[in-house]
Formats: sequence, structure tokens, C-alpha cells
Amino acid sequence: MDFKLTDEQELMLENLREFCDRWVDEERIQKWYDERRVDPETCKAYLEAGFGYMFIPEEYGGIPSDAQTLALVVEELMRCTGATMPFMSYGLAMYDLATFGTPEQVEKGMKSYQETGQQCFSLALSEPGAGSDNRSMTATIHWDDENGTAVLNGTKTMVSHAETAPYIMFIGKDEDPSHDNKSMSMLLVEKDTPGITMAPLHKIGQTSTNFDEVYFDNVVVPQSTLLGEKGKGFLQLMENFEIERIMLSAHSLGLAQAALEEATRYAAQRETFGKKLYQHQLIAEKLTDMEIKCQNMRNMLYKTAWEFDNGIPVRLDSALCKRYLSTTATEVASEAMQIFGGIGYTTESKIGRIWIDARGDSFAGGTEEIMVHIAGRQIVKKYASDLL
Amino acid sequence: MKIAVMVKVLPDDQDIVATDDGQLDFSRAKNTISTYDLNAIEAAAQLAEAEGAELVAVVAGPKRVDDSKTRKNILSRGVDSLCILADDSLDLADSRQTGRMLAKIVEKVGDVDLVVCGDGSADLYAQQVDVQLAEALGWVNTNAVVSLKADGAAVSVERVLEDEKEVVKMPLPAVVAVSPDIALPRIAGMKDILAAGKKPVVTYSLEDAGGLEDATVETLEIKAPQPTARKKMLFDGSSDEGIDEFVKALKEAM
Repeated sequence: MDFKLTDEQELMLENLREFCDRWVDEERIQKWYDERRVDPETCKAYLEAGFGYMFIPEEYGGIPSDAQTLALVVEELMRCTGATMPFMSYGLAMYDLATFGTPEQVEKGMKSYQETGQQCFSLALSEPGAGSDNRSMTATIHWDDENGTAVLNGTKTMVSHAETAPYIMFIGKDEDPSHDNKSMSMLLVEKDTPGITMAPLHKIGQTSTNFDEVYFDNVVVPQSTLLGEKGKGFLQLMENFEIERIMLSAHSLGLAQAALEEATRYAAQRETFGKKLYQHQLIAEKLTDMEIKCQNMRNMLYKTAWEFDNGIPVRLDSALCKRYLSTTATEVASEAMQIFGGIGYTTESKIGRIWIDARGDSFAGGTEEIMVHIAGRQIVKKYASDLL
Repeated sequence: MKIAVMVKVLPDDQDIVATDDGQLDFSRAKNTISTYDLNAIEAAAQLAEAEGAELVAVVAGPKRVDDSKTRKNILSRGVDSLCILADDSLDLADSRQTGRMLAKIVEKVGDVDLVVCGDGSADLYAQQVDVQLAEALGWVNTNAVVSLKADGAAVSVERVLEDEKEVVKMPLPAVVAVSPDIALPRIAGMKDILAAGKKPVVTYSLEDAGGLEDATVETLEIKAPQPTARKKMLFDGSSDEGIDEFVKALKEAM
């Protein structure tokens, strides 16, 4: 067991803090939250500092990385800013594209990423009638072999980055929308293709990322936009869910840590009934339990990332991690708000934003309940496989 | 062209603890690059990039200055190689000793055209080392430099003085001390950080550099100032009486 960071990891984190000092402040954060997007200059600066290249294969200009370093970077980014920085996921989206795209598709994505600093595609997966239950999906792809085109139809919802990403990764059922049809394909289409329209969905938190309903009405694209293997759309995508869960858990942890630090500083200054807040036992107990939770979250996340990096399957642990960290981060943020008292429930303090953003991680990348669905079966496999 | 940048490695002042009796406890302080030297490294790196020049960083100090992270930190900032002389006899070395020691290292590096120093060190800020270094080398020297351009066998520098800007053309070899405004230190990229560990580092011993000159300044004691409680007095600056009261309070306090 070794929790020591490498020289390189320490230097990366120091430089990341410098990036946050220079590029992110409270005024800009509020502007990004109001405008539902981070300005492209900041996204590009994050990319140019190299953080946005993590996990992308070297042949496409990426930086070889591991899940532990990615977790450290994402955690520190949220801890420093006390906010959701959407560009945390842009590199991982490129990693997805590099996993199943052709070299031409990856290069096209990389070019757009470097030019705009924006995530190169949004993922159009969920539908009004099909979230985690993806078999209920009804969006379709009609393969018109005569014309070498594919025709897309359907409604997608909760599409993050839909307005800012130049491409959309569309997943639909091949030809037939019925429940029994398991054949799904994935395409990378330009956002501006005729027939695609969108309408904003307004989240209550994490609003630095735009979020939309996207409508596909007889959208005709070349068949060469197919990503990976025809008919294997969702299965391919699932390959990278585990690293995504690690990243999202790091987001939860960074927010919780930011809340803990804010509340602690407040408790060390604010006086009530002639004492500093932290000298009241009820507040000291809250701080103690918040610290225990943050340490637990960190231990669980780092261990899961370490397993991932060492080729140990993390199907179970990444689901446990995602569930534990998203619920616990919200608890920590909620207690932090309580320490602040009434002022914590106003926009004068950033605790409200942290709390509402942490709450969003109970849905992002699979709900807490879906994590139970994944973990339950894995736990039985782990301890009672002979009875299955 | 070969450029050498002088870098002081210091204990991070955020981690230095002053004890009740005014002693300074450095035991928890990690190494950091002296703030103004970050600007010097950046200015030197930008000039080296523009001129296709080689950039060598030089560090001299007590043993603790040489650790692998500090090496990589320096080498991730556009520096090609690093020379270190780490010997405990350099702890508390005075400006003259340091200047002369650095001069010997610069001579050992060889073929250096330009030496770039920071405005002053972040701990003592004596602003002496660049002068002493130039004196020891017998090279021309100037300070308060806000821009640096190669100009054939010379460098053109701009200096900001109290109420004028001066442009000086200096023949090479030369030593310059740059003002912090000259260049904003880069955020070292991840690629540069990963590559830093593979760059060459040369270490010198005190003997290699011909030993340390005798000190001209003797440090008797270093103590933290006793913190004084704030007076929390407010004066009305818009009236003469208010200003009189302010002056009176100042005199009393002194």
C-alpha cells in the first residue's frame, strides 16, 4: 500500500492550482453558471496545460495517464473551484472516441477539440422513455444502402454539452424500434446537420454545462459516420463506463472536500454565544464526521482507481464507488450548509452551489439505484457464485 | 547562444512556523523556487525559444535544495538542463560567497553568453547576487530589466527606472537581473512535467567549484519579529484635526 504521490503528480496538482488561480474566480464561475457554458478560452487553457489530454492515446497527441492521476486532477479541480468544471470530462470523451472510432473520426474529433477547446461530441443516449433502461429506446437508424446513407429519427433527452459540442454521438436501434430489438448502432454526426433541433432543459445545479432535449427528424447522414461495429452500439459504449464512474466519483469528492474546507474555515472564525463555532460540540461533531466521510471517500476512490490501473476488474468497485461517493458528498455538503446556518442557504456563500451540484451526481452517469442493480449481482457473484 | 538562469531554491514560506520564542522552524517546509526566479526562468526560456538557444539552470545552496521534485519543477519550465551544487556550507552563505560560487559554476558550464537572474531572492531580497556574480566573472551587468532581446553579439534590454524607461545595448557575455514584470511564469504542461525527469542534471561538489570563499557577513541570529496587536484606531483624513491625531498616534506608537 502506498499513498505517496509521485513527483509528477505533485507538480501537476501544483500547476493545476495555478491554472485555477489564473483562470477561475467566483465572478467567472457565476457567469458560466448563468450562461450554461464555460468560455472557450478557459477550456483551451485547460487543454493546453495538458490536463485535457489525459487518457487520449499518444498517437493522437494525448498524454498517457492512469485513473489515479485522473482522479487526483478532477478532485483537485473541484476542490479548488468549489464548482463543476465541465471540461473535466472533455479528454475522457476523446478517449471514448479513440476507443471505437476510425483513425479519421478520431483525428476529426481531435482537430475540433483543439480548435474549440470544447468537448468534441455530446452523447445522445437517454430518451424520454428510456434512461438506464436502454432497451426501451425508440430512436431508430434506417440504413439506406442504396444511397449509402443512414436516416435518424427520434427524441433524445438530457444531452450534456449539446449546444457547445460540434458533434453528436447518436445511439439508435437499427431499423426497428421494438423492445425486443437488441441491435443498436452508434454514429458521430455533425450538430448542424439538417433535421436536428434542440431545446434547453434547465437543471437546478451543475448549470455550467448546457443540457438539452435533441430532436432527430429524418436526419440523413453518410453511412461512414458509423462508430465502431454496426449493431453493437451500447455494448461498445459500456466499455468505458467504469472509468467514467471513477471520474464522476472524483467530482463528488472534490465538491465534498471544498464544502468541508469552507465550513471549517467558517467554523474557525464565526462566533456564537461567546465561542468560535467549532468550539461548540455539535459543530465539532459535524466537522469530525465530514472529515471521516471525506477520508473514506478518498480511500475508496483511490483504491478503485488503483485497481483499474492494475488491470483488476472494477465492475463492482466502480459501482460501489459511484454510489457511495455521490450520496456521501451530498451529505457532507448538506452538513457544511448547516454549519453556515441561514447564510449557507443564500447565494452569498458557495455552499449552496456545492450542495446542489453534489446532488446532481446521484443521477449523472447512472443513478444511485442503478449502481445497486449492478453491484447486487456482482456481490452475489463474489461470495456465492456456486449458487447462481 | 547559451543562456544560464540562476535559481534559488527556498523552503516554502507558507510552511515555515515561527515558534513563541521567535525561532523559525523549517522542518515542515517543502522546497519551492524563489518567486522572482520563476519570472527569470520564464524570460530566459522565452529568449532561448526565440533564439534557438540552449538554456541551463544553475542552483547552488545547502544539501536540502537538491530533491527530485525540485529538479523536475525547474526542468518542466522550458529549461534544457540543470547544474546543481548542493553543500551545507552554502547554508546562510552571503551574497558575495553565493555570487562567486555561481560564477565558478557558470565557468564550469562553459560558453555561457548570458546569465539571467531574478529581481532578488524571495527570502532575503538583497538584490546583490547578480552584481557579485558579474563582478566575479568580469562581465557587464544591469538590473530592473523588463524586456530582453538578442541583438547579434549583444543583448538589448529595457529597464524601467523611477520616471523613465531606458534601453541599453549590452555586449555579451553579460549578466542581467530581470524585474518580475518581464514575463508571467508558465503553467508547466503535463507533457513538460513528464519529460522533465529525462533531462540531464549535472551535480558539482564544493571541491569541483574550488571551495567557498570566506564570508564577509556573519549571521548571528535569525528571528521572527514579535507580532504586535493591531491598534484598531480610525482617523478622519478629511480634517486637519484628524491628521494631527493620526500623527500624534504614530509618534506615540514609535
